[in-house]
Amino acid sequence: MKLKWKAVATEAKLLLIGIPLLIWTLIPIYHLFLFAISGRDSATSGRLWPKEPTLQNFALVFGEKHFYLEHFWLQLWNSLLIAVSVGVLTLFVATTAAFSISRLKVKGGRTVMNLALFTYFIPAAFLAVPMYKTMGNYGLLNSQWALILAMVTIASPYCIWVLKQASDKLPWELDEAARIDGASPLQLFRLVYLPLMTPSLVAVGTYALLLAWNEYLYAFLLLSNDRSVTLAVALGNFLAADDSPWELLMATGLIYALPPAAIYYAFKRYMVGGLTAGAVKS
Amino acid sequence: MASLQFRNVEKNFGSVKVIHGIGFDIADGEFTVLVGPSGCGKSTLLRMLAGLEEISGGTISIDGLVVNDVESKDRDIAMVFQSYALYPHMTVADNMGFSLKLRKADPKLTADRIAQAAKILNLVPYLERFPRELSGGQRQRVAMGRAIVRDPKVFLFDEPLSNLDAKLRVAMRAEIKALHQRLKTTTVYVTHDQVEAMTMADKIVVMQDGRIEQIGTPLELYDRPANLFVAQFIGSPAMNVASGTLHRNADAAWVEAEGGIRWPLPAGAAGQDGQAVVYGVRPGDLSLGGGARAVPGEVIVVEPTGAETELLVQVGAAQIVVVMHGRTDVQPGQKIALAVALESVHLFDPAGGATMRA
Repeated sequence: MKLKWKAVATEAKLLLIGIPLLIWTLIPIYHLFLFAISGRDSATSGRLWPKEPTLQNFALVFGEKHFYLEHFWLQLWNSLLIAVSVGVLTLFVATTAAFSISRLKVKGGRTVMNLALFTYFIPAAFLAVPMYKTMGNYGLLNSQWALILAMVTIASPYCIWVLKQASDKLPWELDEAARIDGASPLQLFRLVYLPLMTPSLVAVGTYALLLAWNEYLYAFLLLSNDRSVTLAVALGNFLAADDSPWELLMATGLIYALPPAAIYYAFKRYMVGGLTAGAVKS
Repeated sequence: MASLQFRNVEKNFGSVKVIHGIGFDIADGEFTVLVGPSGCGKSTLLRMLAGLEEISGGTISIDGLVVNDVESKDRDIAMVFQSYALYPHMTVADNMGFSLKLRKADPKLTADRIAQAAKILNLVPYLERFPRELSGGQRQRVAMGRAIVRDPKVFLFDEPLSNLDAKLRVAMRAEIKALHQRLKTTTVYVTHDQVEAMTMADKIVVMQDGRIEQIGTPLELYDRPANLFVAQFIGSPAMNVASGTLHRNADAAWVEAEGGIRWPLPAGAAGQDGQAVVYGVRPGDLSLGGGARAVPGEVIVVEPTGAETELLVQVGAAQIVVVMHGRTDVQPGQKIALAVALESVHLFDPAGGATMRA
């Protein structure tokens, strides 16, 4: 009986921490949702539920029926294109790098990785201007490539590090067995390494994709044309005027927040490993 | 099928030398076991043969062709790892066929070979399973199947049974031996377990500290160990040894050990009167019995195993092991006399441990 009370007490303590944390997290989202379903006049009324909830805002957004939303679909497409490109490119860079450093033991590989990680000592905001300058030198300003390359640069060091750690855990004998079986490094990479790294690859790819999807500063800096910016930048532009259409901003924001949630949900199972079970006796 | 030649083979890891100029030959079709304590260099030697470690000095040849600079995949060898090293994302069939797939072999030939190997190894019902769905012994068999399918010149085994439980180990030991008798492929097998070495090998290479201590058939090593190390390493339980001084007079020769114990020697034993020696006798060459030359002792522990009984006996300052066939009613604490089979006694030089022969 005593033990049971102890369990209840522990549970209560956890709830005591958990519930405020949940509320803390959900309030902004609820706020977002509340604005999105309120009419223009009632948005800031301070009520917990609007008198006349409406989906009118979404219709306006989808129909691009506002000055700020002129290019909504195009900008959403830009966000998607850039995020996916960053995800794929980062994945390519990080996977090949991690494979070379961890499995092929390329000389100096670790140093390169550590130098790359070192860039995180400098806040990304400080690097924004040098990055702008660099992209200018390459003649890429106002091209979406500028943002893609910048985001790959920012995401890669962390992704390389994560994948390298994951690679180190793969049993070394698999490489040796494959070498004896006659695999070239490229075959080893394609036929043994990639299949075994899939869970980590999905996790890392998702990370890079979402990083690019959510990026504001670099997108704002490197893209200026209304037709090439991402939706994140377009959302920021809402605040340019004194009488910002908050209800539309929040509706668009809600739409913008859905794909990341969906991606997380879809790839949740990959975030957990377990594929290497049975490879070696441990 | 191939013969192997090791010539003055050396290996350095940085400034540390782990293999000191090893040379020996392995004949075509021979089952050779490299055995020795951990860190003796046996696995390193095997990995050098496999092409997984560079050869720092000397040469290794397969069928007369020096392979120092030949890549693993071109050496036509197959290796079974201690950890099995199965590809976890491939089925048993794909694991076994991987090397042929890499060589772009005819799919029909690959399928035939896999079917054949699976039949030999009793893996037919498991071909579509993944390694994680197999037991340890089955995984080990898949690893062997992967080697068989390639039909290589040489099979390499790196402690393949270490991860199995005792019972399965004995069964797999017999399976590997039967497989060799059937395929007759030259095999190099590394183990730290001298029982495995004794039971499986045509030829045993005993190694210590990167050097070869002795090469020979299992019974040669058992009956005529070259030195104290081999004598104590081969055989289970290990040989009993006692340091002492050799004495001989007109009638007899013996070794006088600490505590005035006199270990009897045959009349023709090597060595001079008064020389310091190490006396060695195997547990099975001692028996309960009397006689003028019997050695007195006191039983400490009795360990019956059914077919045999092991006695731990205090003799002078030393504790020795006696293995008796059958059963005994000897009790702990009992004073006994031990008779020595004189023809099976070994003498070693205490400096260097070399066997002294008459």
